[in-house]
Amino acid sequence: MITNMNIREILKQKLGCKDEDFDRPMPVPAPWSMPFWDAARKRKLVLKKCTCCGHIDHPPYLYCTSCSEEECEWIEASGKATLYAYAVNVYGVPFAFMEDLPYVLALVDLPEGPRMISNIVGCDPKDLKNGMELKVVFDDVSPEITLPKWKPVSK
Amino acid sequence: MSKAEFAIIGTGEVPCGIYPDRSEFEIAYRVAKLAIADAGIDKNEIGAVLNAAHIMGSEFNTEAFFGRLPEAIGAKNCKIVATTVSGGGSSFSIRKTAEGILHSGETDYVLVIHAQRFSQFAANEQINFFAHAGSDLEWEVPYGMTYNALAAMMTQGYMAYTGTTVEQVASVCVACRKWANLQPNAMFRDKPLTVDDVLKSRMVAYPLTAMMCNVLADGGCAYIMTTAEKAKKVCSRPVYVLGEASDFSHRSIVNLKTKNIDKMYEFYAPVAQKAYERAGLGPKDMDIFEVYGAYPITSLMFLDSLGIVEPGRSGALVESGETSPGGRYPTSTNGEAMSFGHTGTGVGFSVFVEGIRQLQGKAGKAQVDGARFLIEDCGGGAFMDAHFTVLGNEIPNPTL
Ligand SMILES: [Zn+2]
Repeated sequence: MITNMNIREILKQKLGCKDEDFDRPMPVPAPWSMPFWDAARKRKLVLKKCTCCGHIDHPPYLYCTSCSEEECEWIEASGKATLYAYAVNVYGVPFAFMEDLPYVLALVDLPEGPRMISNIVGCDPKDLKNGMELKVVFDDVSPEITLPKWKPVSK
Repeated sequence: MSKAEFAIIGTGEVPCGIYPDRSEFEIAYRVAKLAIADAGIDKNEIGAVLNAAHIMGSEFNTEAFFGRLPEAIGAKNCKIVATTVSGGGSSFSIRKTAEGILHSGETDYVLVIHAQRFSQFAANEQINFFAHAGSDLEWEVPYGMTYNALAAMMTQGYMAYTGTTVEQVASVCVACRKWANLQPNAMFRDKPLTVDDVLKSRMVAYPLTAMMCNVLADGGCAYIMTTAEKAKKVCSRPVYVLGEASDFSHRSIVNLKTKNIDKMYEFYAPVAQKAYERAGLGPKDMDIFEVYGAYPITSLMFLDSLGIVEPGRSGALVESGETSPGGRYPTSTNGEAMSFGHTGTGVGFSVFVEGIRQLQGKAGKAQVDGARFLIEDCGGGAFMDAHFTVLGNEIPNPTL
């Protein structure tokens, strides 16, 4: 039986992979995105809102993509979303994610406006339905980085 | 009314596939020689040599930046070298560069080259690159995003919201393969393919099976571009650029302009329409639809936008066989990335060069008899942009 642990051993033997090949790619926050990751670590989902025109940008940039003003506030999102579309990765992913297979990638729509790419967790992929309601969960993938992910709202 | 300021007078191409011993340099020199011979011009008449960068980066890029190509080709009167790249849209952006040089009057002949070799990279290097290339490093890659997953999401959403079936998606791969089977340079020229084969191949990123995912390969092509005036004098069958149009949407798919992925035609169709209008032609005048796909879903979204089928019904059109050889709407006649082979920035080049061959009557077994006009498209990144071009071997209504 192939377990997750020995997938790594097999790849190391067969392809000469090193342990660092299995390191997960982590977000490297920019100065303008740091507040998002700081909040995520505290289990809050926040969005960058322009104080001048009210536009919400995700991903955030140096200045508002609508009016170019730099003043902004970080608002806490409702933590709700709906599933717009999804894919289930089952093969041919970077080594760092092979131990997670299969996993779900999704486009999720927030009522605040933005759409995000994320993982859907806590759900058999067969039960996914376009339009289903989701709520945010937080995955501490390193001491510095917490990834907001989504799980279906149980009925 | 079409102004037809520019024309293509010759092309060159090498077989696409896995050829690890054939360097990018060899590909570039070979396709350049073939294109020059096909155009029937002297190499010393070429005043600009343009090249599309290898998207994974290599010694070839650096050498091209610094003038290796005109030196090796012996283009003694070359005045300008440039590398242009915008991912899958490169074939269009490089052509705009060529048009600018020709319009400036600096030279009458521009040589455009594409050469790329993926077999030099290990499978994991390719996987990692294509995870990062299509996806945002900060917001998507940490979630295990990949290019295949991007196409899979687009496919899942498109199917769910239009009612397109997975068999119809698979039929795009089959139609491409039928064309590739007629193409001596196609990677999968010798392998037939059925819908059943596509659906039974290994699941890669649900709903995409392995046969719905393109294969990275080694290949290249080149063409000679000149002004329409010059082309009329030196070429018995020039292909004129009759109308072009472009639009850009986003870097990250989350910022897609249309929001609804079943309605990509809301983004693409106005661009195609503008290209038709600039050519003074319409969908009914087109003999061929040289659609860039790379994934079957992209082909369906582009087909939805060309004015030949009700948007959302392209899957049924392809399934009916009308886009295959012998059909009413010959589409992607070289087999496209899915069956010709994916050469990075080269997919659009190979589709474009095939369109030129068709209009010059040089497409061999894949020739669409009597083809006069076609529309060609390309786009890159994570569905970031769209470029449509109407080409013709005659200039419609030149006196208007
Ligand atoms: Zn603003």
